[in-house]
Amino acid sequence: MTLQVLRRSLADQRTGLVLLLVLLVVVFGSLIPTFFDDRFVVFPLLRDVATLTVVGLAQLAVLSIGHLNIAVGRMAAFGAMFMGLAYEQWHLPLYAGLVIGVAAGAAIGALTGLIITSSGVNSFVVTLAMDFALLGFVSLVYSELTTSAAFTTKPAGMQELRTFSLADVCVGPVCGTSAIPQLAIFAVLAMLAVGYLYSRARTGREMLMVGSNAVAAELSGIPVDRRIVGAHALSGGLAALAGFMLAVTSGSFTATIGSEFMLPSFLGPVLGGTLLTGGAVSIIGTFLGTSLTQVIRQGLTMLGASVQSLSISLGIILLAALSLDRVRQVISERKAVRR
Amino acid sequence: MITLDARLRSNETTLAVVAVVGYTALVVTSGGSLLSGSAIETFFAYLAVPVLIGLAQLVALAVGQMNLSVGALGGFVACAGGVAMAQHGVPVWLAVPGALALGAFVGVLNGLLVVLTRINGFIVTLATMTILTGLQYELVGTTTVSDYSPVLRDLGRAAIFHIPVVFLVALAAAVVLAVFLRRAVPGRHLLASGGNPLAARLSGISNNRSIVVAHALSGLLIGVAAVVTLASAPGVNQSIGGDWLLASFAAPIIGGVALSGGAVSVSGTVLAAVIIRLVDVARAQFSLNPSWVNFVVGAVVLGTVVLTHRRGAA
Repeated sequence: MTLQVLRRSLADQRTGLVLLLVLLVVVFGSLIPTFFDDRFVVFPLLRDVATLTVVGLAQLAVLSIGHLNIAVGRMAAFGAMFMGLAYEQWHLPLYAGLVIGVAAGAAIGALTGLIITSSGVNSFVVTLAMDFALLGFVSLVYSELTTSAAFTTKPAGMQELRTFSLADVCVGPVCGTSAIPQLAIFAVLAMLAVGYLYSRARTGREMLMVGSNAVAAELSGIPVDRRIVGAHALSGGLAALAGFMLAVTSGSFTATIGSEFMLPSFLGPVLGGTLLTGGAVSIIGTFLGTSLTQVIRQGLTMLGASVQSLSISLGIILLAALSLDRVRQVISERKAVRR
Repeated sequence: MITLDARLRSNETTLAVVAVVGYTALVVTSGGSLLSGSAIETFFAYLAVPVLIGLAQLVALAVGQMNLSVGALGGFVACAGGVAMAQHGVPVWLAVPGALALGAFVGVLNGLLVVLTRINGFIVTLATMTILTGLQYELVGTTTVSDYSPVLRDLGRAAIFHIPVVFLVALAAAVVLAVFLRRAVPGRHLLASGGNPLAARLSGISNNRSIVVAHALSGLLIGVAAVVTLASAPGVNQSIGGDWLLASFAAPIIGGVALSGGAVSVSGTVLAAVIIRLVDVARAQFSLNPSWVNFVVGAVVLGTVVLTHRRGAA
């Protein structure tokens, strides 16, 4: 019995990720003395992991129905643009602006979903075209409304959100660690909400069914079109949230927010075991996959690798991880046949 | 089959009409300055690369794959060629075939990875894109390589009756590709695999071979685009290829290539590239923000998507 549990957990992609993550942290930690420095290494690392996990979740939302969102970065820019507008032009407080931006992201996502369902054209093309359109639109708005191509007004609380860690949260005499940024709360909340959606909520389960077999889902009475629009709206909203987190980190709202989101948005979910064909998602896996890539990035940077040569190793890791997964799959299939 | 041909042809007629009307409108609003020899030369010189990368994507789409490494591979090959000629003294007659071979070789690797690992082609080329971007940077860093072969440079500027040689190269590639897909056995196999892999396999066609051939051709066409860039650009650096990816998809999509594979339109892709170029010229003529080009192209593709569906439903 215990052996079976052990074997099953060994076959789980996520166990491999955790082991690899621990191994890498130990290796980097022993090679680099300052690797565990909480303020200058761990804090920014976790802040990036938090932001990119939300980016991964934005991609995961559409992967769940077997779609892709190429415009994930540009939807983040679109949402962030509205937040910048809200702070600079409408003088709204921090969270009101956040709500407006996320709603704008969700709206553009829903529009994308509507175009897909009404035309029946595959999501890749539609989101790619949306990417083009938003790329142009967002930079046009910035160049029209700002002088320095950025909204720089910081509402009350934004600076604190950027620098505060759990060390600033105290319950009586006990304070948290200064290694964990407060910004990570958004990622945790997003993971909990998305996790609840796909494991407990009817809507989320129906999205997964649409992903694994749209025809069967339609025949079982699931409103397929509405679930598709819903998944894209969720993706847009989460992308906008990630845009907010990045803007808080960098201190201003610019048109280039999210331009680096495309690769990480796939790395996290795919390494974590989310299927590209739809029907299966892993929220924890997305977090682990994102953490793995960021730990590698951080470690190699501290060992003196250039930013660009990092992308070589990340690409190789992606290929290697997925090839290994394929090998494991083939072996388990052979075992099943022998039995 | 006839109706499909008719539909594609009508799509191409529409595109041709749009291109001619757009060009005429620009000539009129520019007060005829667009008809001068140098203006025509510039127009076509900047059309060569968009046509070639559109075709490179078209081949991948034809077999039901995508090639996300278009820009990264183009940039890498262009930089490799430039560095080989400028810093290692490789003669131009060796560097050009070498660049083409390098492009095709990476294409074959893409194809083999897809076939052997069974990973989605999207993810494979996303990974190779990342790797190649890094390699391109390793090659040139932040420098611009420009002191290579004057022969190639002169060829890049040469024009016959105000039609640049580089554009003729792109056009020749389009013709060869169209003939290959229409007449050659591997080309027909490629389309069959893209249209219906199961039916293709039952007819004795190797889908795996089709996928590798498609990626190899895609890589080869990117190699041609890289050579054209080497010849016509003022120099090569790490930014080459950075804006190719979206452009490579826009031309085939507007040109009416079925994204599920199996149906292609080479002439549609070329015409669509012309139209995108017209948008760019219009942008320059009215001195608008460069972002307008992306916005208009995106809106046009979305419009095409919705309209095509309506026409299909009618």
